[in-house]
Amino acid sequence: MERGYWIRSKPVYTALLWNDKATAHAVLAAGDGGLAVLKLFQQALPEQPITVFYSPAGADKDYLPALQAAVDADLRVFATTAELLAAWADYLATARMGLRIYTAGTEKFMWDVTDAAADFGILNQDVMKELTGSLARSVYCVHCKSLTHEVTSNIATCSGCGRQLFVRDHFSRRMGAYMGLMVDAENPGEVPQIEEIYP
Amino acid sequence: MSQLQVKVASIQDVSAGVRHFTLVDAHGGELPAFSGGSHIVVTMPAPGRTYRNAYSLLSSPEDRAHYEIAVHRQPQSRGGSIYMHEEVKVGSVLDISYPVNLFALSRVAKHHLLIAGGIGITPFMAQIHDLERLGGDYSLHYGFRSREHAAFADALKGRVSQRAVCYDESLGQRMDFDALLRAQPLGTHVYACGPQGMVEALVSTARALGWPEHHIHSEQFLAPPVGEPFTLKLSKSELEITVQGDMSMLEALEAAGVDAPSLCRGGACGRCELEVLGTDGELQHHDHYLSDADKASGRKIMPCVSRAKCGYLELNL
Repeated sequence: MERGYWIRSKPVYTALLWNDKATAHAVLAAGDGGLAVLKLFQQALPEQPITVFYSPAGADKDYLPALQAAVDADLRVFATTAELLAAWADYLATARMGLRIYTAGTEKFMWDVTDAAADFGILNQDVMKELTGSLARSVYCVHCKSLTHEVTSNIATCSGCGRQLFVRDHFSRRMGAYMGLMVDAENPGEVPQIEEIYP
Repeated sequence: MSQLQVKVASIQDVSAGVRHFTLVDAHGGELPAFSGGSHIVVTMPAPGRTYRNAYSLLSSPEDRAHYEIAVHRQPQSRGGSIYMHEEVKVGSVLDISYPVNLFALSRVAKHHLLIAGGIGITPFMAQIHDLERLGGDYSLHYGFRSREHAAFADALKGRVSQRAVCYDESLGQRMDFDALLRAQPLGTHVYACGPQGMVEALVSTARALGWPEHHIHSEQFLAPPVGEPFTLKLSKSELEITVQGDMSMLEALEAAGVDAPSLCRGGACGRCELEVLGTDGELQHHDHYLSDADKASGRKIMPCVSRAKCGYLELNL
């Protein structure tokens, strides 16, 4: 990317850190997000109750034994992220103010967690996020409004209309996806070289 | 500042020291629309000096025919609230500012927790109209010194008794902020208005319990504290102005004909911020607007409520 050029909607993900002003903590991770949870539990633990939601789905390594050993908290394990997200929605319905939320995994997973929390009046800035495993993007087609997931290249084929979409950095927090624009609209058939840039 | 002219249509004493004014457009028209939590600034041309105080609108925002305000006679009034109590009669014409809202309800909140202390009930009176109209989920906790200080408590009982909890301090009833805040569902926004100690205790308890900053709303209009006289040196206009002990810097600037911007006049909004170029003493910050770092820097001051203990204060104005 050109130096100095920046699209403000592009999220910046950092490392998870406990926020010790809280009444409770919820940590949600999937796949390689397990490593971020292990790093979190190497920090001084907060006094308030902690609940960890983890799904190993998509992990390159088996983090589960290490998590079971390290996580001195309520650890809930789910076979799929869909099951994890369903349990998360149930948890949110009875949670109280003062809950701090931490999530780690792919960008799609983190924004699914954030989206569920938004239904309970939580702003995305209050969900701490650590991206792990992959830079793969969800892409929103501005032409047919379809979402295409796990895009790792600069140009992707739209899952809805089949157009070749140029993947921009312009990010929608509501949809958890980047904007995709038809790349050869001016000169049909002239598609630049496709490269994997979000491995 | 664009002004409206209103006429006092009726005056009622609603509790000890609190007088309730109903205002109508002086020319018989409709008043500008506002949203719950808005305030107006009333100009009071007392002999020798002009007072301008902010008062929350407590009438229904749907009622364009009237504005209602309630004025608590401050025991240590510099003159504003005494002027409202003693000089303003039915039929008096007053200049007021257009309504401004620095205490608006959040549109994304799932629940609204309203915390009122004493005369701090006023902005909530209008917000409750909005919440009832929009079907918002809320609860009101209203503390007062004793029954005779409980302005509007009976009106609230009739209108929203299911949602209002009253605390009579003379009966030993106190709000437990810690327990109250811990019990709130996710997505709650808390709003506090009342005495400084109450508002500060509520805000610091919420922060300690991990409430995000944008879920915490508060409003206090401060009266400018009295102090010692000092001289303002204005570098651009090359004027020297004396600020009397019972006058704010902003009032002194206005009395000298300097066009200084202002809005809430209570240290809340930030509109009147001025740049400090130098002083031979120390700044006395009283506002809620500047950050601690800004206050410590000695470069900024809010002339509506803050002053200085010094011989001179030089401003970039």
